[in-house]
Amino acid sequence: MTCKEAIAKLAEYLDGELTSVVQKQLEAHLKTCPPCRAYLATYRKTKELAAKVNRVDMPEDLKARLRALLIDRIRARPAGG
Amino acid sequence: MVHSRVMQGDEADLSLLERLRAGDANALEALMGQYSARVYRLAYGITRSAGDAEEVVQDVFLTVCRKSESFEGRAALGSWIYRITTNAALNKRRGKRQEVETSLEGELPSFKADGHREGARAYVLADWSQNPERDLLSGETREVLQRAIDRLPEHYRAVLVLRDVEELSNEEVAEVTGESVPSVKSRLHRARMALREQLTRHLGPRA
Repeated sequence: MTCKEAIAKLAEYLDGELTSVVQKQLEAHLKTCPPCRAYLATYRKTKELAAKVNRVDMPEDLKARLRALLIDRIRARPAGG
Repeated sequence: MVHSRVMQGDEADLSLLERLRAGDANALEALMGQYSARVYRLAYGITRSAGDAEEVVQDVFLTVCRKSESFEGRAALGSWIYRITTNAALNKRRGKRQEVETSLEGELPSFKADGHREGARAYVLADWSQNPERDLLSGETREVLQRAIDRLPEHYRAVLVLRDVEELSNEEVAEVTGESVPSVKSRLHRARMALREQLTRHLGPRA
C-alpha cells in the first residue's frame, strides 16, 4: 500500500468500515511509515478540533425571540387547522 | 447501519406533531427544546454567520409549524428538520459563495509518482496532535481553524457539521443532503484534509 492509498482510506479506517484485509494492509503500512502515522494523528485531531469549534450555542435572547414569534403564530391558527 | 437517536422516527414525534397541529403551545415548547439548539448549530455551521443562522432558525420552525400537517411520518422528524435546515442554510449562502470560498485542490496533500507524499521531510513528519488542547483551541490556532472552515465550500461544511458535530452516519447525512453516500464520504474526507493542511502549515515546520 502506498501513502496515497493509505491516506485515501483514513476516514473509513476511523469509522471502522474497512474490510479486515484492507485494515491489516493499512496498519502494516502505518507501522513502517512515520509520515502516514503523523498524518493519521493530525487528521484525527483535526476532526476533534473542528467539531469542538463548530459546537456553538444558540444565543439565549434568540431562544426567547423565537419562542415569542412561534407562540404568536401557533395561537393565531384555528385549533386543528 | 447505525442510526443516531435523533434520526429515529417514533410515536413521540408523531404525537408531538399532532399536538402542534392542534395549536398546542406546549408541543411547540417541546419541539424547540428538542431541536432548536441543533438547528442553530447546523445553520451556523453552514452559513458561518450568527445573523444568517438566526434567520434560518426562524424560517425552519415556521416551516415546521406550517408543514406539520403534510408530514406523514415516513421519515423521522429529526431527519425532516435537518433537511429543512440544511436547505434553508444553503439557500442563505447562495450568491455569497464567491466571497471567501476557494478551491480545495491547493489544500489537499500532493503525492509523487511512487505514491509517497510530496514536501520536505520535516513537514510530512509534523505531528502537532499532542500539543495541549487549550493551545490548539485558542488564540491564533483557533483563528486559523475558523478561517479554514470559512473557506470550505458550503456543501462540504454541511457534511462536516452533520457528521462530526451532529454525529450522523454517512447514510443519514446522505438522506438529509440528498447526496449519494460516496459523495458524502468524499466531501467529509476532503474537508478534514483541507483543515488539517491549514493547521499543519500553521503549527508544523514550513513545507
